[in-house]
Amino acid sequence: MLRRRVVQTLALAAGLITAAPAMAQQPFADVGRQPPITILINSSPWYAGFESTVQLYEKQTGNKVNLDVTPFGGMLEKARNAVRSGTSPYDLLNLDTQWTIEFYSGGFLTPLKDIDPGFDLPAEVLTYNDSGYWNDAKKWRTRDGGKLMTYSPNGNVHLFMYRADLFQGAGLKAPETWDDVMGACTKLQQPGRVYGMVTRGERGNGIRFDWMPFMLGKGATVAKDPENGDFTVVINSPQAKQALDTYIDLMKRCGPPNHGALGQSDVIQLLATGRAAQGMVVVAAWSNFDDPTKSTVAGKINAAVVPKFADGTHGVVIGNWHFGVPRNVPDDRKKAAMAFSKWFLTAGAQRAYLDGGGIPVRKDALPPELASNPKYRWVKAYVDSQPYAKQELGYAEGPQVEQILGLRLNQALIGEMSSGRALNTAAKEIEEVFRRSGRRTGASAALPE
Amino acid sequence: MPSRLLDLVHNTFRYWSLLPAIVLLLVITVYPALQLLQMSVSTIEFVDGRDVWSFTPGRNIELLLSDPVLPPAILNTIIFVIVTVAVELSLGLGLAILVGRLPHGRGGARTAMILPILVPPVAIGSMWKLMYNFDFGLFNQALDGLGLGPVNWLGSTNLALISVIIVDIWHWTPFVFLILFAAVEGLPVDVIEAAQVDGATNRQITWLIVIPMLRDALAVAFIFRAIFAFKVFDEIYLLTSGGPGTATEVVNLHLYKVFFEQNQLGYGALLSVAFIAAILAFLLVSRRVTRDTTR
Amino acid sequence: MNLLYGRERVVGYALMTLAILMIVGPFAWIFLNSLKYQVAIYTGAWVFTPTLSNYAEVLFSRRSDFAHNVGNSLIVAGITTALVLVVGTLAAYSLHRFRWSQWIATGFLGWTLIFHTIPVLTLVGPWYVIFRQLGLYDTLTALIITHVTMNLPMTIWLMMSFFKDIPLELEEAAFVDGCRPLTAFWWITLRLAIPGLIAAGILAFIFSWKEFSIALNLTSRATATVPVAIARFAQQYEVQHAQMAAAAMIATIPAIILMFLGQRFVVRGLTLGAVK
Repeated sequence: MLRRRVVQTLALAAGLITAAPAMAQQPFADVGRQPPITILINSSPWYAGFESTVQLYEKQTGNKVNLDVTPFGGMLEKARNAVRSGTSPYDLLNLDTQWTIEFYSGGFLTPLKDIDPGFDLPAEVLTYNDSGYWNDAKKWRTRDGGKLMTYSPNGNVHLFMYRADLFQGAGLKAPETWDDVMGACTKLQQPGRVYGMVTRGERGNGIRFDWMPFMLGKGATVAKDPENGDFTVVINSPQAKQALDTYIDLMKRCGPPNHGALGQSDVIQLLATGRAAQGMVVVAAWSNFDDPTKSTVAGKINAAVVPKFADGTHGVVIGNWHFGVPRNVPDDRKKAAMAFSKWFLTAGAQRAYLDGGGIPVRKDALPPELASNPKYRWVKAYVDSQPYAKQELGYAEGPQVEQILGLRLNQALIGEMSSGRALNTAAKEIEEVFRRSGRRTGASAALPE
Repeated sequence: MPSRLLDLVHNTFRYWSLLPAIVLLLVITVYPALQLLQMSVSTIEFVDGRDVWSFTPGRNIELLLSDPVLPPAILNTIIFVIVTVAVELSLGLGLAILVGRLPHGRGGARTAMILPILVPPVAIGSMWKLMYNFDFGLFNQALDGLGLGPVNWLGSTNLALISVIIVDIWHWTPFVFLILFAAVEGLPVDVIEAAQVDGATNRQITWLIVIPMLRDALAVAFIFRAIFAFKVFDEIYLLTSGGPGTATEVVNLHLYKVFFEQNQLGYGALLSVAFIAAILAFLLVSRRVTRDTTR
Repeated sequence: MNLLYGRERVVGYALMTLAILMIVGPFAWIFLNSLKYQVAIYTGAWVFTPTLSNYAEVLFSRRSDFAHNVGNSLIVAGITTALVLVVGTLAAYSLHRFRWSQWIATGFLGWTLIFHTIPVLTLVGPWYVIFRQLGLYDTLTALIITHVTMNLPMTIWLMMSFFKDIPLELEEAAFVDGCRPLTAFWWITLRLAIPGLIAAGILAFIFSWKEFSIALNLTSRATATVPVAIARFAQQYEVQHAQMAAAAMIATIPAIILMFLGQRFVVRGLTLGAVK
């Protein structure tokens, strides 16, 4: 309650400062009268913000929007059902980044400019490594030769959280490299009471997503050059092994005994109850930390860009959502969906989105004054992470690769096999997958096991 | 109702009592089943918004045989089925007979037993995950209170499967209880009283009269409990995702990953068909075994 | 049943109470959780400031149509149970009592089992297509039809097992007296199978109530049922335990009430003018 009021006051101030057009009177974009549309959307921390923005749209334009709020576990199923037969009941689908390849390459979505040739993504809108564009010849998500298929209503990246109070008490600066993290962990951990660092280690998407920042930080990758058709498997490279070893080392020495089973909920829980001094979570989890009804360390946690290796870069993985228009929808509803989208991507709408609790996708909706407000201390890290943010597994075999990595990495973490053997096994299985789908692939030199 | 119509109803009772069930089952279930069979020998790709089918039985079989996750999944599933069915049938039977032999408390017992199976699996999974939580969970708190160290319920390869089995036992013993208890309530009183008059001991009555009379209900409970055990998914998905490593990987979970997450419809369908065949084989074998031993 | 007496009875009651406590214990824990703030759930605190905000959020917040979802679930589960009991019991009796050719009987029963082993995941796709073409997508009718079909195998097998335990002589005596099969069925067999009907009814209700996959695929926001609504609290990156606990509590109560009333109805309805 209080937070909302503070946010609203801030928004008002921001509005006055940037002289935004009177938000209550004129619509942010003139979209005309449109038939009602239905959006498939998931229940999430940012849903409240989205819903209030939609209500503003309805009030300003008089056009109706239905929101089918669906549990996350059911989104993919519903999206697939909608596009695979008959007429889709949804005019806008919300797709997680891992699913976009399937929908792009399957031809299930209509390119946005085919519906509205005059439509262009405003320059300030974040494109998250071009995941909204699809180059059908290369079967790759890139603006270069690609058509605009979707845009992101929400972009999640990893942020590194740390206990500012503990760091200050021990005279430590915000962590920049993984060595800093290890150092802080050794100083701050108290066995049985405070863990040095926590992140996901759970088998499957959990460990894959949370290990990839380490992988990217060392410049390693899964396939050599998938954008240009070279699917030689290079996951079992010395760099990847170093990344994996560092990750395992941190988890073993700084994490709880059940590090092999930590899911996102567990990581949030450990940070929010003060049981962890450092941790890596997605920015969407921030709302858990400053709310006294959800955490015992309100106000004590700060965010930083995901640390880098001393001899590498910051590795940041993107998990963003995408709004797309299904092909099997009547034309008038497609146009109505585009009208809403055009409105949604205006600066005014994005600021309303921020007020409601969402994370805006326009750079200019995050005025710099916000960063000096303690309530928004995560914004700087969020913005600073963008240059390093990468999409991974952007090919059709993505889900299979994820499951292979999700298993083998986890087995290395819990000690069932050495990191070298895990990566070698994963490489062999991934190569098999690529070969079956007809890619140009090959193996790399095996790592010592 | 005019009497001729009434006669018709009576005379055709035999047919119209079975017809609705046949119609429903045929109309609703045959098409998906046939499509599944067809999928199992095909590869399906989506191009240009349409599905494209190609006939590839060899490829699917090869995928099935070379799947590295399948052997541990099969092993875990077998262990899971044997342990949970054995424990739940025994506990359910024991409880049903116990409650049957107590004069009061039946309504309360039945109502209590409904609760675990009533709550949606997602709530049960989240709840047990909290209880098994390493740092703050109920069980580790209790152990801490007793002066013992915390146990890594879901994160240790040795314990994970047992932890999941415990949840399943809690969740499904009431199911067995409800079926068996209904049978207990329907037992003919005179047979038991006659045995008591004849001087049979309680133990003899229970083992030589009551339990054999419960045989049909036990068979149904066994069949359906076994099928559910083979198809276990929710508990594992919510508690461990098949981990750590492959400690709690089961066939139905792997099927979900292949068919749904990886979108390999053809191979996934073949896996389903093979799985169904295995379950049916199991049921046929157990039927033959029990029939021979109770001869 | 041979009742327990004396010390054995005391032990018996103790064991039964223990079993009930172990079954119900976790629910008491969920109930406590539903009164806590998220932070108290995270820390597993036993001493906490209670709040009704979780219930308020589940019932009254804009994102949640929970009361409506509970209503949907009650309708679907209630009608499913009634229908499946009627169709299933009749079918079970027919198979049990009448001479059907081996092909039909074994084929039918075998198919019910085969169908029961098919993973639901592979069924929802084709069903979505069928019901969408019939114009029944996003209706409770589609849900009821599929739920009845899903529950038929178990109901039929259960009722058959209970019918088997009813001595044939009772029915034969009625036939000798000039009673026709339908009449005998209604007045005699069904009366004696009341415990079985109650058990089958309870199980059918429960399975329909908590069924998730089909409900997810065949409904949208307006027709969603309780399991779909509760799943909304299990989000991509976190589980909202407090609200989920409150939702689970709210959802359980009407279900129990309905089943309780249903039991009474079955017993009373069938024992009117019972002949034994």
